[in-house]
Amino acid sequence: MDARVESLVAEKPKLSVRNLNFYYGGFHALKNISLEIPERRVTSFIGPSGCGKSTLLRTFNRMYELYPEQRAEGEIVMDGSNLLTSKEDVSLIRAKIGMVFQKPTPFPMSIYDNIAFGVKLFESLPRIEMDERVEWALKKAALWSEVKDKLGQSGSGLSGGQQQRLCIARGIAIKPEVLLLDEPCSALDPISTGKIEELIHELKADYTVVIVTHNMQQAARCSDFTAYMYLGDLIEFGRTKDVFMRPKKKDTEDYITGRFG
Amino acid sequence: MNDRHLSTQFDAELSGISTRVLEMGGMVESQVARAVHALVNFSSDVASEVLRTEERVNQTEVEIDLDLSTIIARRQPTARDLRLLIAISKTIANLERVGDEAARIARTVQRLVNSGVSSRLRLPVSDLAYESELAVSQLRKALDAFARLDVDRAVEVLKRDDLIDQEFEGLLRKLITFMMEDARTISSSIDLIFVAKAIERVGDHAKNLAEQIIYIVKGTDVRHNPVGMVETLVR
Amino acid sequence: MTTTAAIAAANPADTARRRLHARRKHTNVIALTLALLAMAFGIFWLVWILIETVRLGLGGMNLALFTEMTPPPQADTGGLANAIFGSLVMVTTATLLGTPIGILAGIYLSEYGQRGWLGSATRFINDILLSAPSIVIGLFIYAVVVARTKTFSGWAGVLALALIVIPVVIRTTENMLSLIPNALREAAYALGTPKWRVVVTVTLRAARAGVITGILLAFARIAGETAPLLFTALSNQFWTSDMGQPMASLPVTIFKFAMSPYENWQKLAWAGVFLITLGVLILNIVARTFFRNRS
Repeated sequence: MDARVESLVAEKPKLSVRNLNFYYGGFHALKNISLEIPERRVTSFIGPSGCGKSTLLRTFNRMYELYPEQRAEGEIVMDGSNLLTSKEDVSLIRAKIGMVFQKPTPFPMSIYDNIAFGVKLFESLPRIEMDERVEWALKKAALWSEVKDKLGQSGSGLSGGQQQRLCIARGIAIKPEVLLLDEPCSALDPISTGKIEELIHELKADYTVVIVTHNMQQAARCSDFTAYMYLGDLIEFGRTKDVFMRPKKKDTEDYITGRFG
Repeated sequence: MNDRHLSTQFDAELSGISTRVLEMGGMVESQVARAVHALVNFSSDVASEVLRTEERVNQTEVEIDLDLSTIIARRQPTARDLRLLIAISKTIANLERVGDEAARIARTVQRLVNSGVSSRLRLPVSDLAYESELAVSQLRKALDAFARLDVDRAVEVLKRDDLIDQEFEGLLRKLITFMMEDARTISSSIDLIFVAKAIERVGDHAKNLAEQIIYIVKGTDVRHNPVGMVETLVR
Repeated sequence: MTTTAAIAAANPADTARRRLHARRKHTNVIALTLALLAMAFGIFWLVWILIETVRLGLGGMNLALFTEMTPPPQADTGGLANAIFGSLVMVTTATLLGTPIGILAGIYLSEYGQRGWLGSATRFINDILLSAPSIVIGLFIYAVVVARTKTFSGWAGVLALALIVIPVVIRTTENMLSLIPNALREAAYALGTPKWRVVVTVTLRAARAGVITGILLAFARIAGETAPLLFTALSNQFWTSDMGQPMASLPVTIFKFAMSPYENWQKLAWAGVFLITLGVLILNIVARTFFRNRS
């Protein structure tokens, strides 16, 4: 389903999805999706369980390639080239498009090494610069003050909310252009959630953020643009304030007002 | 198409508050009608009756506003539901002012009766009655449109608002002529001008109500637009 | 109490519930008793073995055990030095040889061979090898190595023991790696990490406690194996550090001495049994404490 929005004319698209189809084996999970993710804005994907929002998110950094029965057809264009068919090494694509998952996953190493892990893959920085980069990432993730005295300790010793911010810091440290967040707050308490939502707001100054959430109020609070999906189709895409005040499609309104049944 | 929320509680709350708004509308509608009836018949008793209802109307406005904020706090409404609640908030303010106009008319009646004025002065109260009929019917139509969320009916209300304004202009000219002909009628004529203005304002409030209905259903804010524009905006 | 009876009688659902609960409690007590009896049975034998081992072996513990060679029958002095040395050298070498192979194969099975015929075939063969009788492995090495080189040797012993280590390490490595949740791997991939690096620096590292424990347990296992050494390293009365020659080992020496009619040999055998038991026990405890602390 093609959903063009006039108001997007003023926004520059970072990712252009065109006629994207996705299959889990024989199951047609994403049906001809086309939309444009604007640069340096927060875009949210909402919809009931099984609508395909996480699936769509994971096509952006080709995470589905880890599983042979999953395949994608169509185009996802970033900076002029189609990510799906690019000859470029997928690792380089993933370095430009970072991802944070639902469950916090600190690596089994110190906090410092967690952050430095991704950086070391692509850059060889002298110790001082690496220290600076780690500090910068942790500050950006609003975690520095809480961990600056225990950088050598294991990442798994932190609380859930801190671990998730660690994962976000880890993702930012490699300076990607796009940040994908897959239900980043579902496993967290309201205060940690609040801190991360605040963080998202600051991140959009430098990054294009795409967030999948099953919490509609979070989408309403955090995002600039919202896409509503249902059973693999893109039903509506537009500015968040329009989608939540005057949605164009009745299906969208039914979902966000809780008339869904 | 399923128009009920997953939460039947929420449905009950919304329909409950809409019903109360309509009740309040009915209350002030009859207030206006009774107030003008009191004027036409120079009845002080009916006027007192109207003034007694006034307190109930004000209290209803406060209660509905409280319910409103509770629903918003608890349900985090969006889209259509949010627009409905915002519109209700403005609607009850309008209705309360209609009640105020009716009270003003009633107080004028009492003043006229106490100062001994009667129909012997051949004041054009029947014209006022006609103007009030127009205004009350506009109000009724608007409330009806609110009950059914009927946009076409609301647009009709907007289109007929001019009639009341014209009626008022006519009444004004007539009363000025009256005053020029007989200086003894100046005091009561001025009172009647104020009554006519109050009735005209009732018509305005009905118009505001109609604008809110369009906002609820279409999401478009048509306030401060000429009627011709409204029709294009609504389409 | 007439009141409670009256109340209970007045509520039939309540009485039914009480009866059911009583029956369940009864069953619980029976099951618990049976379980405790079974456990006591197992512990009884273990404790008796340990008591006998200590009783018969502790007497023979002295410094000479570690400094003197295996003596001829009916001698006054003597120890198990060459046997201890031989065991240590062969077991350690076998572990060092088998561990890298086992870990690499375990990594392959867990990370690369989830689908496809090679992974399933490897897993199948590994399971067979894991449960193969150690005497069969010993005879195999005899036919392939000893018969060809025309001599028993420490190297043959090492090879036989390695063949026992490898399947154990493969199994534990694969199991430990597959316990690591996929979310962790995906998090590493999302940063742009190439596959081999994800496996080594994230997955393996996360599973290292379990993998190391597996290696320690394999070590403990082969320390007590007798049959494979019988046909490969044989034994040696004298000290030797030449792996190309037959080497003494504790299990084989114990076998020889225990079956003999000579008292000094029997005493040394029991001392050897005590040593092995103690060593394996300590290794097991260390391995499990290590695993618990690190995971």
